[in-house]
Amino acid sequence: MRLFHNYHYVAAMLLFCIGLYTVIVRRNIIKKLIGLNIMETAVFFFYISLGYMDNGIAPIRVGGAQPGQMVNPIPQALILTGIVVAVSVTALALSLVILLYRQYGTLDVDHLMRQEEDEGEGEKGKGAEG
Amino acid sequence: MKRVVSLLFLAALAVLLLYVVANMPPMGDPQSPTRTHVVPKYLEDAQEETHAPNVITGIILNYRGYDTMGEVTVIFCALAGVLAVLGREKRGRIYAYADRSRVKSSTIVKTMVRFTVPFIILFSVYTILHGEISPGGGFQGGAIIGASMIIFTTVFGLYESSQRIPQKLRLPLEGSAVLTFFTVGVLGMVGGGNFLTYAWPHIAVSLQPAVVVWLTILVEIGIGLGGAMVFISILFSMIREGEEVAVVP
Repeated sequence: MRLFHNYHYVAAMLLFCIGLYTVIVRRNIIKKLIGLNIMETAVFFFYISLGYMDNGIAPIRVGGAQPGQMVNPIPQALILTGIVVAVSVTALALSLVILLYRQYGTLDVDHLMRQEEDEGEGEKGKGAEG
Repeated sequence: MKRVVSLLFLAALAVLLLYVVANMPPMGDPQSPTRTHVVPKYLEDAQEETHAPNVITGIILNYRGYDTMGEVTVIFCALAGVLAVLGREKRGRIYAYADRSRVKSSTIVKTMVRFTVPFIILFSVYTILHGEISPGGGFQGGAIIGASMIIFTTVFGLYESSQRIPQKLRLPLEGSAVLTFFTVGVLGMVGGGNFLTYAWPHIAVSLQPAVVVWLTILVEIGIGLGGAMVFISILFSMIREGEEVAVVP
């Protein structure tokens, strides 16, 4: 059966679902970011698996390596780009999380939303009074 | 409730994805569609056209040079965003941090880190300079330098590591990846080709391989230095200077 032969792809899809589950269900923002990173890893894994070839060798033309035996180099080049972009996104997101924590003192999304609502209502109240 | 709904949604998504996977061509097939269009050309001609035995380096820096230049800009913009949000580490605050840090690392950890960090940096230099003949390259080497500085900072604190790599040194080097790429691109135009042409048409054909190889190495060094400095600067600006110990609820 095809699914058993493509077990790399199946693992990547399951990893993606695990990451999405973490993003949806967890309330801690840092855990949500970890879930996002798991999703990214799943995509990278899927791409690299696409380039795999049975008995393939690294795409480096040293020592008389035959081009016909080499694995697909394009996914690896694309994923190198993807990893760097993922690192940048994570760094920026983490710095925003640090700012949120300094501002509100919590990383819980529900708490953050409640504080946001409270503040909004407080401002509205002030407006009504004024 | 939310958990059940999201699990149902994820189950539906997983079934859909697995259905697609079941209809994909078998993994590792040399005749699969991912290998049939442009890949054979890359594998056959990359060495002659880019003069880099590592086909991936050839693709990243030469065939897809614009893409990599955009990527380098992305990490530079990430650094700019982090600095805009958190601010750069300040000298006075660093001194305060050094005085106030309560957790002291043990001697074993300090000695081991002091012993291994030079070798890690040496390995990263090897990774950067050999990026075109062996697995590696600018981004990987830069990430290794950044990782070595993360180890050093977690053990010795922000004060010590910012003495080792001071702001004065990092500031001009952070943009070196973008600058090197742009310079090499403009040099290609001066040499008679398009932007980011490595093999300048205006010089003798016999000189072209050497020029391509040295330009590739130059770009790798620029990316490695710039990436490392960007990672280190992001790390330093993210470190909280100790006055409030985070209490996780």
